[in-house]
This record gives sequence, C-alpha cells and structure tokens, in this order.
Amino acid sequence: MAIVVLENELKILNSLERLDGEKTLEQLSALTGLTKDQIASLALTMRGKGLVEIIETKSLRAFLTAEGERHGNLGLPERRALNWLLSHEKGSFEELADASLEAWEVPIAIAWLRKKGWAEVSTIAGKKFLIPTELGKGYKEKRSLEEEALALIASSRDRSLELKGQPDGILEACQALKARGLIKLQELSEERLRLTELGRRALKGEVRLILEVSRLSRELILSGNWRNVRLKHYDVSIPSYQVFGGRKHFARQILEHIRRIWVEMGFKEMKGPLIETCFWNFDALFVPQDHPARDLQDTFHLRNPVAGDLPKAEIVERVRRTHEDGWTTGSRGWSYKWDSETARELILRTHTTSLSARTIAVLKESEIPAKFFSVGKVFRNEKLDWSHLCEFYQTDGIVVDENANLSHLMGYLRRYLLRLGFREEQLRFRPAYFPYTEPSLEVEFYHPFYGRWVELIGAGIFRPEVVKPLLGRDIPVLAWGPTFDRIVMINYGIKDIREVYSNDLEQLRKAKAWIGG
Amino acid sequence: MPVVSINLKDFCNLVGKDLSIDFLRDRLPFLGTAWERASEEEFEVEVFPNRPDMFSTEGLARAFAGFINHRKGIIHFVVEPSDYKTFVDGSVRDVRPYIVVSVVEGVRLTEEGLKSIMQLQEKLHISFGRNRRKASIGIYDADKVRFPLSYTTRDQGFEFQPLDFPERISIAEILRRHPKGREYAFILQGFDRYPILMDSLGTVLSMPPIINSEDTRVTPSSRNLVIDVTGLDYRTINAVLNIVTCSLVERGGKVRAVSIYYPYATEFGKSLVTPDLSPRRQILKISSVRKLTGLKIGADEIRSLLEAMRFGVEKVDGDTMTVLVPPYRADIMHEVDLVEDVAIAYGYDRILPEIPPISTIGGEDPMEVFSSKIRELMIGFGYQEVMTYILTNPTTLFKKMRLPETKDLVELRNPKTSEYTVCRNWLLPSLLEVLSRNTHRTYPQRIFEVDDVIEPYPKAETKARSLRKLALVTIHNEADFAEVRALCDALFHALGLRAEVLPSDHPSFLEGRYGMISLKGMILGFLGEVHPEVLEAFGLEHPAAAMELDLERIREFCMEIRSS
Repeated sequence: MAIVVLENELKILNSLERLDGEKTLEQLSALTGLTKDQIASLALTMRGKGLVEIIETKSLRAFLTAEGERHGNLGLPERRALNWLLSHEKGSFEELADASLEAWEVPIAIAWLRKKGWAEVSTIAGKKFLIPTELGKGYKEKRSLEEEALALIASSRDRSLELKGQPDGILEACQALKARGLIKLQELSEERLRLTELGRRALKGEVRLILEVSRLSRELILSGNWRNVRLKHYDVSIPSYQVFGGRKHFARQILEHIRRIWVEMGFKEMKGPLIETCFWNFDALFVPQDHPARDLQDTFHLRNPVAGDLPKAEIVERVRRTHEDGWTTGSRGWSYKWDSETARELILRTHTTSLSARTIAVLKESEIPAKFFSVGKVFRNEKLDWSHLCEFYQTDGIVVDENANLSHLMGYLRRYLLRLGFREEQLRFRPAYFPYTEPSLEVEFYHPFYGRWVELIGAGIFRPEVVKPLLGRDIPVLAWGPTFDRIVMINYGIKDIREVYSNDLEQLRKAKAWIGG
Repeated sequence: MPVVSINLKDFCNLVGKDLSIDFLRDRLPFLGTAWERASEEEFEVEVFPNRPDMFSTEGLARAFAGFINHRKGIIHFVVEPSDYKTFVDGSVRDVRPYIVVSVVEGVRLTEEGLKSIMQLQEKLHISFGRNRRKASIGIYDADKVRFPLSYTTRDQGFEFQPLDFPERISIAEILRRHPKGREYAFILQGFDRYPILMDSLGTVLSMPPIINSEDTRVTPSSRNLVIDVTGLDYRTINAVLNIVTCSLVERGGKVRAVSIYYPYATEFGKSLVTPDLSPRRQILKISSVRKLTGLKIGADEIRSLLEAMRFGVEKVDGDTMTVLVPPYRADIMHEVDLVEDVAIAYGYDRILPEIPPISTIGGEDPMEVFSSKIRELMIGFGYQEVMTYILTNPTTLFKKMRLPETKDLVELRNPKTSEYTVCRNWLLPSLLEVLSRNTHRTYPQRIFEVDDVIEPYPKAETKARSLRKLALVTIHNEADFAEVRALCDALFHALGLRAEVLPSDHPSFLEGRYGMISLKGMILGFLGEVHPEVLEAFGLEHPAAAMELDLERIREFCMEIRSS
C-alpha cells in the first residue's frame, strides 16, 4: 500500500510526529511556515487519505479586564482594606484612603467588606468606624475563592484561564468576578490535528509515502529524486494563459510573400522616391497635363517643396514632342502645348508606375530582356471611407522583352495570383483602359461575399508614346499595378479597408499567420 | 469613371436583337466596360473614358451590335449640304474662341432617346469637356430656331429666360441665382462679356458653357435638332460634336452641314463646314497585331475582327492595312489602339496565358533585405510590428511631443483633412498614436515599425528624401530606461556593432533618462524614457520607453564590417 502526499502534507506529518502526534493549527503553522488557511485545507485532504484526524475542541476562557488586571496585581480592594484594618483594629472611612486604595476604590472596598461580612460599621462618638469581624479575621491568612480565581488568571502565562476542568468553587468565583466586571469570558473553538494509526505507521515507514510535486525542479533532476516522487497530473483540457509574443503585421506577411513571388520569377526590385515630380508620375506615362487624375481632387500636391528637377534635356524634349504631336512614335499626340513647369511640380506619387518609367529611362540595351517589380506606398487625395485610403501599398511590375505580348502578360499575372492562393476559376481577364497602356486589361476576381467581379490588377502593354521617349526606341513593355490592400482584405475577410492599418493590437496579436498559395 | 444607365428595351431596339440581362452581364465586360447593376428594365455599366462614344445608349448599342457580330463594319455617315450658317463675332475670341454646329433632321427621339442624349451630354461635359471648361454642348429644337445663327457676346445686363426658370433674367442674375449659373460661373470669371448663341430673330439658344434658353428647349417630340459645341480647343469640340451627331443618326436622323464663319484666322482657316463625319485613315501593320497580341491570325481574320469593332478596311497591301476609323472614335491615336480593338473583338477570354522561357535574375533591394532582418530581430525580442501612415499633422509631430514646430517639413498643398497635412520626419509619434488607440488592450505592449520618414533635401532631384527608420516603444507598469537600453545593446550586438550611448537632452523624454546612440562619432539614433507630459498628450497611463534608429547609416556600418 502506498499513499500519495504533497510536499506540504509531508511537512505537516513530520511536525505532528515531533509534537506527540497532536497539534493546533497555530503550532503547526509555526513549525511548517505554512499559513493556517493552507494547513486547514491540507488537513481535509490528509483526513481523506486517512493520515490525520481533525479534532475540534471548544473551550471557555477567562480574560482579565483592565480593572481585573490592577486587582490581580494589587489584590481586590476589600482585601487591601481588610489587611489594613487587621493591623489597625479599626479605621474611619477617611482613614481607609491610606490603605493603598485609590479614592474611587474606597466605596467599593467598604461595600464588599460589608457584603462579605469581613467588617462591620460602628458609630463611636458620632463618627463611623469599620471594625473587622471574626469572619474577617479568619481571612487574615486565607484567600477567598474569588481571590484564588483571580490569582490563577493573573499568574497564567497569557493572563487567561481555561475554565473547563476547574473546580466548581473557582467556576462560581469566576461568575462573580465577571459580574464585578473584572474578567471577561470567551467561548473559543480550536482545531487540532492528530496522527491516526495509519499516519504513525506511515511515518515509521511501515506504509509507503509517495511525494507528489507539481513542478519538476532543477533540484529534483540533480538529486535524481524525481524518480521517487509523483508528478502531479494536470487537467490538460483547461486553457492556459494567453501568449502574444512578437508578430509581423498581417499585411507585412503578404507583402513579403509578394516579393518572394516576383523574385522567384526572376524579377529585380525597383526603388524610387515617394515624393515625385509630375514628370515621372504623369508626363513620362503619356498622361496629358489636363487629365483629371492630375487634379488637386485626386493627387496630393506639395506646398513645400514645390518643384523638382527634370531629367536630362533629351528625354524631356522627346516627352514634350510626344505629348504635342506624337514625335516619331507614330501617334497623333494630344495636340496641346506641353508645359515643363507643370511637369516639375512635386506630388506624393500616386502609383509605383512612376518607378517603371524611371527604370525604363536608365535601362541599357545589354540588360534586355529585363524584368522588374516594385512594392511601395502610394498616395491619393481621397476622403477615407470603407473602400478608400489616402495612403496604401501597390506592387508594380514590368517586363521589357522584344517578344513580349498580351498572352505573356496574362501568363505572368495568372501565375502571380495562383501563387497568392487564388484559384483559376475565380479569375478572368477583361479589357480595360489606362492612359499609358494599350492594349490594357484588368484581372478580376469573383468575390463570393459580394457576388460580383472585383478588380485585382490593372495591366497592359506600355504605349509606344511611353516607351520610345524614355528608351529611345519602341519595344513591348508589359506593365501592371495590382492593388495590394484588396488582396489583404480578401484573405483576412476584412470588409472595411481602414481596418487593414488600424493597428488594433488585439487584431494584430490574434491575426492568423499568412500561409500563402 | 462614367457610369451610364441604359434602358434595356431601347438598347435591344437599337441593336436590332432581343438580348437578356444575363447575356449582357456576361458579354458587355469583354467589350471593355464594368458591369455595375441591373433591374428589370435598366442596367448600368461603367464605360472607360477613352470610349466617350459609348456614353449613350445609341453608341453602346452600335458597338455591341458589332461585338456580337450582328451588325459589322463601318457606318458611312452622310452630311447633306445646306445653307445653314453660323457667324462668329470677334468678341468671343478671348472668352471661348471656337464653335462647331450641326443639324440633325428627322430624329425619332422619344422619351428614352431624349434621356440618353441628355446623359451623353452630361458625361461628355464631365470627362471629355473637363467639366465644361474645354468643351460644352448645346442641343436645341431646330423648329424653334431661324438660321443663320450668331455666336457673339453680351454684357451682364442682357436678359433671356434660362432653362428651367419661370422668367427672363439678366446674365448677372443667372450667374448668381440659377443653379447651373452658380455651378459653372467659375469658367467665365474675370470676363465682362459673356458668350451668347442666338438666331437671326434674336432668340437666344444658349449662354455657353452655362445654360440653354427655355425658348429653344428640346422635347421628346422634337424631330429636328441643332447641336453646337463651344470650347477652347478645336479638335476637342469637333470630336464631341461628332460623337453627339453620330449618336442621333442611330435614331434615324439625317445630318445637315453648317458653315461657320470666323472674323479671325483659326488653324483651320476663317471658314469651315461642320460636322466632318468622313472616316480617318490609320495604318495598321498585320505584324504589329500578331506581335503584341501573340495571336497567330492573318489579314482576313484581322479585317473581320476590325469590322466587328465597327471599323472599315480600305485596303491591304502586304503587311500594311489601311483602316477606316469612324468619326466618333476620337481615341484612336496610334495603331496600338487598333491592336487592342482586334484583341477585344477576338475575346480576352479566348487568349491563353503563357509564360515565355526567358531567363532573368531576380533580387530584392538591399535596404529592403536589411529592413526585413531588423524586423526579424525585433520580433525575436517579442515586439509586435505595426504599420502606420507617413502622412500626419504638426500637432502629433511637435505639439504632443513637446517640440517647437519647424517649417522644415514636406507639406501638402491640398489636404482633405487636418489629420493628414504633412509627411512625418520621425517615426515615434506614429507609434505613440497607435498606443493611444490601444489603451483598452492587454499590457505590457511592445510595438515597433520599420518604415520611411521624409524630409526636405534640396540637393535631391525631388527636393526631398526618404529615410528608413526603426522605432520601438515599450509601455507597461515597469517600463523604464533600462529596458530599452538592454534592447539597444542586444540589437547592436546582433548586428555586430558596438555603439555607445551619450547622455543628452530631448523635450520628449525625461531629463537624465535620454541618450543619443553613437558609433565612430556618428549619431545613429536615440533612446529614453518618454516624458509624462507626452504620455498625457497621447492619453497613456503607463510609463513608456522608446528608441528610434537610422537604419540607412546602421546598414552602412554593417556593410563596412562585412567587407573588412
């Protein structure tokens, strides 16, 4: 037979053995360092295991009041008066004040001397005297029961007396002392633990005790004692505390995945300024200078700084000619007077397509075929609502290749979207319009929630009016500018675009990890 | 982009075929529109701005009839000569110099037709006409007009009865009281004479580009119409006139020419006859079609596809095709525009996506790679990444941070809200703002961001530069300087750098608990315990400590070590 005990239970058992097998909770607390509450609750489980009994004892104790304390030290007032009278034979009321009594004690002393019959009052020559009686003389060497009881209490270690088991006389005397307000009686109940036979045998080693511990500690491992103990079983079905840890923003996880997709496909990253001249954001992309997209309504223009530098004159001149009459691109142009000051105006870039234009302008013939991607912030002068932000991410791509065509464009985009986890049957390509691409297309996704096709990517082949002025010759350049936030929203079931960048820590801490396609 | 609403029955009549909503919902997007919604009688599609000819039921039906191979080929528009004349007065030259006019007779307009033409007019005004500034259209009942017309100016006291108004009022009052007058007065601001189009009896047709007169109002039963377009650019107004006139032809109208006489020389001479509805010629190379689309198609198929898009092919000579472009297709600027139409007619849904076998080497930008490393380290330290906006405001950047305001910032000229007026020049305020919105979330909170700040930089081409930064904040009851100092050391250790912290002062941080991080005499950032007044300003109730680092410079040091 073996009994599983906790370490604290073992402590209690050992303490009980040292103390004759029975102790109060206070005593055990002092010995074990556990609180009374801890011991009380452990006592219940130990009783359940048959190791201890819990004995509840009720007691009646007498405690001295402040007045009782004084009399306990000095003797009752009537005793002090009697002793004085016995040594002076008689005494007047006034003279009694000398009998080590406070003024307020004199009437008490007189009253009790007479009540107990220790002295009588006689009138001699018109003056009242107290004279000890025979009874009183008999108490010269003997203490009354009240005095006996008071002395017992006053001499006890904690100035209190357990009344249970005292002789009847003492008990009666205590009632009298209580009536005189010299003591208080208090009923107490006290729990004691007592070793059972099983408990004693366990301590002698006749019954095996197995220690149960909740934590596996370094000590247990080092001592090898983990072999002799039982590790407490947990209720593993109960949830534990919350863990947050450090996490990437869920949108970042998708951004990084997107970068990986492009790099896998052999695309090199383009970087460029967030503050952009209209030249690179619009003019180089053949967007006419009176195009509505350039309005203050749609584009953030700057108060400081206001205007930037234009690239080398050759490129500026070609762009100007192309806008005005098509230059040598084969185009009719927009037929208006192109203004270089308008092109110098600084804005927050409205798309990362500006980077594509910059990239083409510095591309060397030896680098063709070339593939580039970009991931970056863009800005639109929108009023924020559930579907509009004024600052968001875009990812652009270009392929500069002599043989590039519409079917390749669709091929790259299809692969990109499949890698993002979209399924073939959810996607379609349809014609679209952008000022800088021709042919143009949009890739749409059938959104099951809205029950309609939504745009994912705008794309096309750059117009010769874009490519030739920048590169010096015409060559097909596949180009695309997919929305990013819509992909985040679709994947995370977000219906309001503002939630993507609301930085709610609860949402960020609990967002599911991006697994990808 | 313009969304046009189309009456289904009217549309089917014009196409000449019964069509179901389901069929249209499937096929119209492949013509290059975005399906918006449909009811039993009507549907709405978004038409791209390069196809203003499809802003009307007539134009969309004309294109769709070709697209489904029901009616193919170019329409040859006949403009019958007439002795209708319009005289231009020299005084319009400075205000609104150009006018073109056409007359369409025998139109079967009906209620639906009138609605469609009004919609076309409105959409053209907004997009092509740049909100009426560049071009504005007037359509009048020809039976109420006596030619010749005169395009002239009047002063602000001149009176006529504007459309939808009960009485004659002066031009000044129109600009002040009439809804259209108030809306478009800005176009004529600064002039003391205003354009007026009137007939030979002095009946006012309109006051371009503001309002027509009630006297020449068009009704559903009007049969004969006068159309004028005025504006600043001859090509634009001519294109607009052609689009409107050709739409009316779809309703059975016969076009009559109008001669226009200018007292001053224009780039097209002093007199001209409008509208010019003859087709333009655009050369298309068969090889260009095949090259750009990737489709292996020949001349015959290309001709057929062009005709489905309502073009004509005049002749084919080897690789060269001469394509006739109808007068309403103002968007055809280059042969690539025809290539796209060939692809559209072929069907984008029939083109097979394909990835060509070309070899290129991919790679990420080094600063992005470094940023990614830093993010990994921060996550290892238990920090949560946040992503905030570059746009912010001076209150957040300075006032709340106990800093004096500086003008050395990138500032927007046209912000829509006071919340976003400048670009941030440091990251920490953005992070404190995030914390201020998360006071109800579990603490401790430890957040970081790696992103750009922008500062003016006159030496740069765009007079500003972006700098990549790392900022982090820890906020909880026990947050203190020691915590970020420990993190700072751990971070630099991980990067193989040994930076020191120099005691310093900063208004945003507690005195004696702030330092600048320095390496080889270069300041790389700072760290400290956030000032309680800053915490109060952001509504934060716990102590916080923060750090911000310049990742551009730190990366340079890391590269130096690597190469040494």
